[in-house]
Amino acid sequence: MVDQVHKEFRKRDLLYSGALWLLSLILPDPQLHYRREYQFRKRDLIYFLTIIALPMIWSDPHFHHIMVLAGIHAILALGLTLFLGYAGQISLGQAAFFGIGAYTMAILTTRCGVPSLPAFWASGLTASFFAYLIGRPILKLKGYFLALATLGFGEIFLVMVRESPGLTGGVIGIFDIPYFSLAGFIFDTYLKQYYLIWGILMGLALFSKNLIRSKMGRAFLAVASSEDGASAVGIDVSRIKLSVFVIGAAFAGLAGSLFASVMSTANPETFSLNLSVLIVMMVILGGMGNLYGPIAGAIFLTWLINGLSRYQEYSLPIYGVILILLLVFFPDGIGTRLRVRLIYLISYSGRKRRREKVEL
Amino acid sequence: MFLSVEEIVKHYDGVMALNRISLQVRRGTVKGLMGPNGAGKSTLFHLISGMEKPDSGRICFMEKEITGLQTHEISRFGVGRTFQTLQVWGNMTVVENVLTGMHTRIRGGFLSTGLYLPWIKKSEEIAIKEAKEILELFGLFGRWKWFASQLSYGEQRRLEIARGLAAKPDLLLLDEPAAGLTYPEAKQLAQTLSRLKEAGLTLFLIEHHMGMVMEIADEVAVLNNGELLAEGPPDMVKSDPSVIEAYMPRK
Repeated sequence: MVDQVHKEFRKRDLLYSGALWLLSLILPDPQLHYRREYQFRKRDLIYFLTIIALPMIWSDPHFHHIMVLAGIHAILALGLTLFLGYAGQISLGQAAFFGIGAYTMAILTTRCGVPSLPAFWASGLTASFFAYLIGRPILKLKGYFLALATLGFGEIFLVMVRESPGLTGGVIGIFDIPYFSLAGFIFDTYLKQYYLIWGILMGLALFSKNLIRSKMGRAFLAVASSEDGASAVGIDVSRIKLSVFVIGAAFAGLAGSLFASVMSTANPETFSLNLSVLIVMMVILGGMGNLYGPIAGAIFLTWLINGLSRYQEYSLPIYGVILILLLVFFPDGIGTRLRVRLIYLISYSGRKRRREKVEL
Repeated sequence: MFLSVEEIVKHYDGVMALNRISLQVRRGTVKGLMGPNGAGKSTLFHLISGMEKPDSGRICFMEKEITGLQTHEISRFGVGRTFQTLQVWGNMTVVENVLTGMHTRIRGGFLSTGLYLPWIKKSEEIAIKEAKEILELFGLFGRWKWFASQLSYGEQRRLEIARGLAAKPDLLLLDEPAAGLTYPEAKQLAQTLSRLKEAGLTLFLIEHHMGMVMEIADEVAVLNNGELLAEGPPDMVKSDPSVIEAYMPRK
């Protein structure tokens, strides 16, 4: 009897370890994942190949379009995670920088006839310029006060856009923004846009990864954890905060310009507080303090909103319930907890059967 | 004079925290600062390191006035410090804590680290090597991959001193380095500190541990209620009647 049980365990263990190995190829190790040394791992290659191969396997234009939006959201979330997840400051005004980027792109390409690429960089610069201007006074605030100040900035931005129809087209917005073009190559299908946006996202993710694993990333974490300690070793806390804010805003500006050229329109409704909250949600759901998490969160939430749009009037309650459940079961983010949860699930059936055996 | 505090005054809403205190610390010596609770010791350290501004008076370090500068600027002049309430960064590993202590000594701005230019990689590698040497000195090498929040209290204290040392300061302000340590731990710490002194570092430490101060300090100053009671070699201060009065008031 004992022998038989033992044998069965072995067989099952083999199955589990195989499943765990497969998991380790896809998801980061929950223990090691905070380690900020950079090594190119097998799963990075798998992510990379998935991003390249996915639209070819699933060649549905609607899928491409949603993934384009997810990519833009991911750039936004990536910018915010440097500020929120690493430097520990909160911003509810990312949508305003997103809007600044989009309008810069729109105005430069439709009114001034500037090519896409210079306009793309200009929108990042404009957003970071505004971030510098408002960051200097408001970054002295902490916690809720900082959240309120950035929220106020977002609202002021919306009012300014609505009330200056000469520059931004007012409530109606700007139409017929040309598609992104690079040396004569026009990104006019969803598939081409997918590769454009995910390529830029990968570049920005690499930039963030480099920041995080070097002295700047350590300074961010130090500021988040203890400002007194940080200033005692010679870190200029206010400068670090301002710089992270500016970098996050630059990411948002770049995302905005991509958004404008993909959707061909820019109107103020898009850049409301809802979007800012959505970006914060992506970072929190995806997991703070890591870079893959917010990207996963962005993809997940974009698909969730897209899927719920079918159930018009029920969509908001369902959305709320799903978010609450996720925050209950993944308190530190999907990116951090998913592997732990899956390991638990895989071993669950085994444990259940074992319990029954013992009771016999 | 290496560090000189001249006629410094600090009020908190009518409470006199420091009243016209003047002190000097000579290069290469260990100075102890003692006094009962609420004597103004930590306030003096806050003023020297720039976390708070004095109401009047001057603080000079290496012939330069540092009164009113910001903490990070003072730190770049070569004044390191540790805290009475631990300020290690629990969200980072032990080695990262020490590396962050070297922040000002590692080259690189935002753009160059973001692009990870070749010389960034090189300076990171050198820094990691040096950080591990510092950890070895404080007996934390075996823990370098741990998160700082996972360390015991005594280890966190040592880590904080290691971090302060990583910035290569000329003067290190230690705010109760032995608070909460067990007797052998405190003894070991005293040995490490005297080794640092032999290496030429100037130390200025607040300490309640009489034995430790007497062992490693060249000079001791005693504060009470914001007034400087006594200053001089440990033996002289120990037998000073006003000091005995302050520590063991007559019934």
